[in-house]
Amino acid sequence: MPPRDDRPAPRVLASGEIHQKERFGADTVNRGAVLLECTWDGGTFESGMMLGGLFRSGTFVGGVFWGGVWLGGTWAGGTWEHGFGPDGRYRPRTAHP
Amino acid sequence: MKLTIASAHRYPDLARLWYRTVARDVAPAFRRAGADVSVVLFRDADPQSFPRAWFEGALLEAPSRACRDFIEFYDAVLPAGGDFVLFVDADVFLFDGAWAASHLALFADPALAAVSLLSRTDQPGVFALLARAAAYRTLPAPVLAPCYEGLADWPNAVNRQPGDRAAIALRAAGWRIAETSARDATPHVADFHATTAIRATKERLGPLLGGRFDALVAEKLYLSMGAYDNLLLGCLYRAVFGEPFAAGPDGVPLSGSATAAALRSAFAGIPSGEALSRLVGVLRRSRRALGRLAAHEGVRVDVPRVVPAGRAAAVRLEDAARRLLHRRREASGSA
Repeated sequence: MPPRDDRPAPRVLASGEIHQKERFGADTVNRGAVLLECTWDGGTFESGMMLGGLFRSGTFVGGVFWGGVWLGGTWAGGTWEHGFGPDGRYRPRTAHP
Repeated sequence: MKLTIASAHRYPDLARLWYRTVARDVAPAFRRAGADVSVVLFRDADPQSFPRAWFEGALLEAPSRACRDFIEFYDAVLPAGGDFVLFVDADVFLFDGAWAASHLALFADPALAAVSLLSRTDQPGVFALLARAAAYRTLPAPVLAPCYEGLADWPNAVNRQPGDRAAIALRAAGWRIAETSARDATPHVADFHATTAIRATKERLGPLLGGRFDALVAEKLYLSMGAYDNLLLGCLYRAVFGEPFAAGPDGVPLSGSATAAALRSAFAGIPSGEALSRLVGVLRRSRRALGRLAAHEGVRVDVPRVVPAGRAAAVRLEDAARRLLHRRREASGSA
């Protein structure tokens, strides 16, 4: 018998959803939702848009990052429209972390 | 004396309207004041969509490795811009060129770094900033970029807008920045808000949100302002050029922002009270700005109503009652 995976299923944010001023943890995957001024802390951002807000940790795989602050995490792909680094400095279009 | 008028644009139709005023009113006025004037227009997206014939006499720039977006463009203008740079936002119309150019005389004061012709916040910004380039060149790069301060204190960090940090640093170094009051500027300027922001947001969010985007427009005041101001500019654009403005991929006028019907429907969902009152006040301010610009253009512009007359009147009545109540409370408090 294969070992049972007791980890809870990730919360998936889907296309057409919009979230404002919410916080998302490591158990979240974004697949197309728009996040306005939200905090992303640990999950996987596959697609959708992060408009403003704070990217604390996690992996940005795809989608658009626009005007938010990048504190930490892994940039694996996607579109960096513009934003700010952990030092508060402006990072222009394409200057992703 | 060399002066560069610099502006960043994402949309060619707005740039066309903006450049009409600059080429006809602003640049000639500065030339009469003794300046050798050039106009530089940064096409922040899709440079090929800007017909050269619309911008005769202007230098058209585009994103490059050295100048990736409009914020980097602001800094790029400083070393090349000569003695003075006049930064003007895409939706700010300095239709009274003589008034704008009259501020050059203030630079007889060697300690004057800039004159802000339009102040919106507690800092002068770069909405309409006549800057002594040499003063700004004393600052480390990036000079005019926005930034965050105090990120450790999130969400109470301070977001400095373009030009804010430079103004603070220059004043700390002993330079002076003059700011024109709104009262003084109003007769000479028509300024609109967030007109590019809502179109860029719609470009990106529209496909993800579909019809829900219009509800978001009603919810966020800056999007409401941008959408309404585009509606106004669209009416003016049609009166001046006889062509549609801010069309989306479907080709419908204003669908790249919000149509009058979409705005009417979205605003109908706002309950009476402070939010509606604030909105009605903002729309009124914008209509007055359009009135000044249309009068200067010598055209008559009919603007469709997006808040029913009855509701707008009710809001004015509520505001008057609130002010009266406030005055009575103040009077009884001081008695």
